[in-house]
Amino acid sequence: MKRRTLLTAAASALALGNQAAWAADEVVIGFVYPLTGNGAQVGLDAKAAFETMAEIINGNHAPIPMLMGQGGGLPKLGGAKLKLVFADSQNDPQKARAEAERLITQDKVCAIVGSYTSATAATISQVTERYEIPYISADNSSPSLNQRGLKWFFRTGPHDEMFSRAMFDFMKDAATKTGRAAKSVALFYEDSIFGTDSSNVQRKLAQEAGITIAADIRYRANSPSLSTEAQKLKSANADVILPSSYTSDAILIMRAMAEIGYRPKAVLAQAAGFQEQGFLDGAAALANGVMSRTSFALDATKSRPAIVPANALYRAKNNKDFNDNTSRELTALAVLADAINRAGSTKNTALLDALKATDVPGDNTIMPWAGIKFDETGQNIKCNPVIAQVFDGVYKTVWPFNVAAADVIWNVGT
Amino acid sequence: MLSADIAQVLIGGLLMGLIYALVAAGLSLIFGLMDVVNFAHGELLMLAMYAVFIIWQATGMDPLLQIPLIAVLLAGCGVAIYRGLIARALSVQFNRGMVQIFVTFGLAIFIRGAAQFAFGGEFRSVSKHILANRTLEIGGVFVPVPQLAASIVCLLAFAGLLAISRTEFGRALEATREDRDAVALIGIDRDRIFAMGWGLGIATLGVAGVMLGGFYYVGPNVGASFALIAYVTVALGGFGSLTGALVAGVLIGEVEAITAAVFEPSLKQIGVYAIYMVVLMLRPRGLFGKL
Repeated sequence: MKRRTLLTAAASALALGNQAAWAADEVVIGFVYPLTGNGAQVGLDAKAAFETMAEIINGNHAPIPMLMGQGGGLPKLGGAKLKLVFADSQNDPQKARAEAERLITQDKVCAIVGSYTSATAATISQVTERYEIPYISADNSSPSLNQRGLKWFFRTGPHDEMFSRAMFDFMKDAATKTGRAAKSVALFYEDSIFGTDSSNVQRKLAQEAGITIAADIRYRANSPSLSTEAQKLKSANADVILPSSYTSDAILIMRAMAEIGYRPKAVLAQAAGFQEQGFLDGAAALANGVMSRTSFALDATKSRPAIVPANALYRAKNNKDFNDNTSRELTALAVLADAINRAGSTKNTALLDALKATDVPGDNTIMPWAGIKFDETGQNIKCNPVIAQVFDGVYKTVWPFNVAAADVIWNVGT
Repeated sequence: MLSADIAQVLIGGLLMGLIYALVAAGLSLIFGLMDVVNFAHGELLMLAMYAVFIIWQATGMDPLLQIPLIAVLLAGCGVAIYRGLIARALSVQFNRGMVQIFVTFGLAIFIRGAAQFAFGGEFRSVSKHILANRTLEIGGVFVPVPQLAASIVCLLAFAGLLAISRTEFGRALEATREDRDAVALIGIDRDRIFAMGWGLGIATLGVAGVMLGGFYYVGPNVGASFALIAYVTVALGGFGSLTGALVAGVLIGEVEAITAAVFEPSLKQIGVYAIYMVVLMLRPRGLFGKL
């Protein structure tokens, strides 16, 4: 008898719990990131960025001049609060797939945001497509991701084709400004989807621009040593090295080049590892002068006043400033929350329509972009990247020249 | 390719190969002694590297001066692991081989998780020390000083290990290796020899960790890529053979460097495993294996 009472009580408690979830006082959103393993720090930083945005949306505070910056929950859902559920992909596409499935079937998330590496985004977005809920790509940059005919895929940030195009536009502008053109580039890229896609685009753009490809080096990610790779770069001695690498390899290649007495004329990175604090610390003085494409300009506080209060909140949580990745992650959640709010519910079709109707001006975000508007493939077409350069261990925006916070150091041709 | 470039590739392979050998030495020693493959080898290397970083950060002590300290610390770790886990795993009656695999494998995952919890996922490095960022140039060939120092320490460590094998303790190790039951009859405490073997093996790994710490980044997963190569090194050189580990380490370093130089760098592991499989086919006990 007693046991039955207990069971009944438990069952009704569960039922109540379920009911509470359906009452929409909480909007559950899933996140798949590497929280352990080699990409763990990036994932943990991402988590802090998402929690910062949730704090901005859910909390009561002075309004921040950005999308969903007014606080107090989602107004059109009766002040419903966001609840974030994080899952660990360990940077493994198969684990990412399983975790996405678990988030949808068990945690009943209304959308998934992810996932840092493009290889994991490829599998997660297949799962979300099958279950018909949106996948918001916050920071995956492979151009192929939005060209797979997926209906539920949305990418708020630029992809590597846009990034690479910006890098080549920058090289052209730098040549015009300084009178010293880059005549050759060396491609240096890791062997997964990120590096491969990135190099494919760069190869094409170099040919279009009439720039010689002095070296085309595909290397094995997380190798214990990159000294032979560095030797190949040295032999090629290109005007500009274009690396696409994650953090550990980024540190290693800068050191390996220095060890063999090679100081490259210019390094223009496809962000990723080069944007991480671990790289700036690990490569230390060797990082100075390194340029990287980025989608974020921390120093653009004049035109983007929300950066200061948002960054202060993030800093309080994670003791770091926003970077290329974390700024895009925060923005992705703001865009998703805004769509849920406009949809007025978490119903998938309403959410899909709301996402498609997204049109946010750039100055209503913390990003230096023209804005956020998706094309039919789910790609934001208004996110123009910028180029930043390391000065004494800190990235400063150097291009486009009209928003630059510092003059670019362009050693090519000297 | 210029001759200086070729020399550069070969030097790079040699320097890295000696590091591989030093990392593999402890693994080989423990395996040779008691047929236990320590799957937590890479994680212990990672702990040693973190220890170097933390001591350096707290006191500014140069990594080179930390060698004795880290060696003792890691020897303690080795003895503790043997007494706390391995000895118990070996005392089971059934499936002893499986149990010892799982126990060290579980230990590896535990250490990795604990490191991430304690130190976070950020990559860290010892940026300032006597040898940091120094490079010698000899006839157009560049030799990074931290790696050169690591190679010298590696050779000294191997010389030390070979010297130890000539002492009474070394002979006891050898005897225990050959017949672990018979040694009890002549008054050798097998358990104690095993514990000392673990201490010595892991202390050697600690020395490798110190030298790596001079030029490599540290993160919770840094051990994995070195451990994989260490297993291949031990198998290639012959289980339990120190000379084998030294030769195989250098061979792997060179094959890796040459494959990367001649073919695509992303294929460099293929060269290593190709050599490994050829050796396994022609000489299954490894280059210097006695069994």
